[in-house]
Amino acid sequence: MKKITALALALAMSLSLVACGGGDNKTPGGSNAGGSGSNAGGSNANAGGVDLSGLSVTCVVPYDAGGGTDAVMRGLADAAKGSFKNITVENRSGAGGATGMLYGAQAKNDGSIVTMITVELATLEAMGNNAGLTYTQFKPIMMVNSAAAAITVKADDDRFDTLEDFIEYSKTNKVQVGNSGIGAIWHLAAAGLAKTAGTEFNHVGYDGANGAITDLLGGHIDAVAVSYAEVNSFVQSGDLKVLAVMANDRLEAIPDVPTCKECGYEAVLGTWRGLGVPASTPDEVVDELYRIFSEAAESDAFKEFMANTNNVIDIMDGESFNTMIGEQLELYTGLVEELDLKIG
Amino acid sequence: MSLFVEIFTTSLTPMVFLYMAIGVLSGICIGALPGLTATMGVALLLPMTFGMDAAQGILMLLGIYCGAIYGGSISAVLLHTPGTPASAATAIDGYALSQKGEAGRALGTATLSSYIGGLVSVACLWLISPLLAKLALKFSSAEFFLLAVFGLCIIGNISGEDVEKGLICGCIGVLVACVGIDSVTSYIRFSPEGNYNFMGGINYIPIMIGLFAMSQAFENIESIFEEEEVQAKLTNILPKKEDLKKIIRIAPLTGLIGTFIGIIPGAGADIGSFVGYNVARSIAKEPELFGKGSVEAISGPEGGNNGVTGGAMIPMLTLGVPGDAVTAIMIGALTIQGLTPGPMLFSTNKVLVYTIFLGMFIANTLMCLFGFAGIRLFTKVLSVPKVILTPAIFVLCIIGSYAMKNSLFDVWVMLIAGVVGYFLAKVKVPTSPAILGLILGPMAEKNFRTALLKSGGDPSVFVGSVIAWFFIFLIFISLFGGKIKALLFQKKN
Repeated sequence: MKKITALALALAMSLSLVACGGGDNKTPGGSNAGGSGSNAGGSNANAGGVDLSGLSVTCVVPYDAGGGTDAVMRGLADAAKGSFKNITVENRSGAGGATGMLYGAQAKNDGSIVTMITVELATLEAMGNNAGLTYTQFKPIMMVNSAAAAITVKADDDRFDTLEDFIEYSKTNKVQVGNSGIGAIWHLAAAGLAKTAGTEFNHVGYDGANGAITDLLGGHIDAVAVSYAEVNSFVQSGDLKVLAVMANDRLEAIPDVPTCKECGYEAVLGTWRGLGVPASTPDEVVDELYRIFSEAAESDAFKEFMANTNNVIDIMDGESFNTMIGEQLELYTGLVEELDLKIG
Repeated sequence: MSLFVEIFTTSLTPMVFLYMAIGVLSGICIGALPGLTATMGVALLLPMTFGMDAAQGILMLLGIYCGAIYGGSISAVLLHTPGTPASAATAIDGYALSQKGEAGRALGTATLSSYIGGLVSVACLWLISPLLAKLALKFSSAEFFLLAVFGLCIIGNISGEDVEKGLICGCIGVLVACVGIDSVTSYIRFSPEGNYNFMGGINYIPIMIGLFAMSQAFENIESIFEEEEVQAKLTNILPKKEDLKKIIRIAPLTGLIGTFIGIIPGAGADIGSFVGYNVARSIAKEPELFGKGSVEAISGPEGGNNGVTGGAMIPMLTLGVPGDAVTAIMIGALTIQGLTPGPMLFSTNKVLVYTIFLGMFIANTLMCLFGFAGIRLFTKVLSVPKVILTPAIFVLCIIGSYAMKNSLFDVWVMLIAGVVGYFLAKVKVPTSPAILGLILGPMAEKNFRTALLKSGGDPSVFVGSVIAWFFIFLIFISLFGGKIKALLFQKKN
């Protein structure tokens, strides 16, 4: 009996070791891969006063796995993996991004929890459903990427060949426009376009862009207003078509698709994504994080990754990013008031 | 034929087999540990695939996926601790059977049923995936709502003898799921001001660990010093003829149903296993044994949850739409490799697609082999005296609930659920309906509201499609099927 007990115990121990080993395995692999990078940066880091190479960093994505924000964060985390003890990505979706960002804003201020802050940081507050979330709770590290809204419909939808068709149709009929969540940027972008064009859409919110795109593919809604990166594969396969993008200039990936401006509707709206840490984080930690992540963002691996996933790299340092977020909050507060969308 | 030659010479190298074996083994371990789910396992090992080529990476992830969905049943059977939510239904009868000293028989049934379920889903994936893919797009909010309501009807069947108590428990589950920021209007419900723990909603995995494992551990304390010898009989590891007959009657069918559930975006292995349990009960030869250690009741959910694995791959590969949370991460894995899942993948990367099909078959076979080989080992856990086993379960529960989101809040949730579960068991209230309510309540609510939002408040969307009617029919059958049957038989007599 004793023997069996001992055996079982040993077994349980070894099993748990195996399980733990599985988790730990990636650490040595990760630091090996980026070993030279962190060594090279070592002297720099010491000059700055903070060394984060022993830190385990968790990157919080306030949206579901598989979406655009998630993809950018995972790509960046992979490019930066050599500079930390280890780095993991965690999805905390819900409430249009408020859940994850609130978590990140109230997290430890030692740089171990870096949050993907997105345009919703401004739009949620403008809408009044921010659950106490405000951009001053964050100290932005940097902006990483930006994307304009792309008005996308089914490719075989004969009603709409151009944005003008779509707008004219919506003046006499009810069109369902899917977005990634009520009060989220794609909702406001679509609403902003409708306002400029003097029409109205019926906005349908989902938890993330994925659900909206799936519903569009199934023909349950008429259009989605999400980023081009999120619909790219379906445009390539010929299932969906983009009518117009809400950018200043045409997108490189789809040079034939006009901007809303060209069509006569002054709407330049879209998302931006960056990294932030709680506002109380010491400046030297933020500086070191900026150094690590901007290095990662400029690496070839990340550039290739972003090109593969049709995302546009758009880097901005923490200070200008902070100013920009403030301006965006003003812009969206104005838009929400004009459109009478305020909830809370 | 030349395609297969190409697959075996280029992508299915011995190295890939090794990666898959590692994937399946670590999947089984991850699945067996409460709190570590298939989704988490795949997300954890995802960064390891960055350095591999596409086939190696995706096949290792597939191994983890299949292994973890199966692994959860090991701890469900032996310790009444579903390792993943997909095994919550297996815990009911699996543990009952292992209490009778037939843990080997229960595990053997679970292993074989999982294998059959997995095989059925791979067959569907291989042969008719483009056809089935279209089905995924037919589902919209109204259909999701009806699916969730149908799922909630299963409460009646997993409540054992006391349906009323089960319903009460299910309602508690739905109510607990209401906590947090509402996903349609962002209104904050039942949360103290500024507490993001509550705002984010209460996660059902710590609750599941608490209700099943922690409450069981509390109960063990009552008799912790009694030398209770449950001798695990290891004679029936390979199912005997009569068991085999039952398994073959049930597992392929629930595997097929699991495949369909997998195809539906947003419905995963947890729902697949509960529906599998329900189906098994309605076609069982001995439904009276359900809840008391029935082989059929293990075979149903195990076939169902592994059926989901292949099903979830169908919309992912053919449409680029994830079938569940795990495949959403796999889309990410493929994207990082520069590949875009979707219709284009079949024409541009045919070899990879068929490697995935074949790899999934191999992963399931490995899972079955490892499973049967390990049963003798696994059941040794039962010979551990309670004085040692019970504290070990405490530790596992705490680690498991903390590991989900690295949150102490979840540990408290687990502990409270454990205490509540202990007292519920004392008054003979079944606890699995609460899990069902927690998983399906939010799904029903959100889709009900989105459907009405889309229709502009017109309730006719709920009867607007063939699929909707199909689910209404299923709901009707599961609510009144028993009554109608009884009435018909009365008339005959």
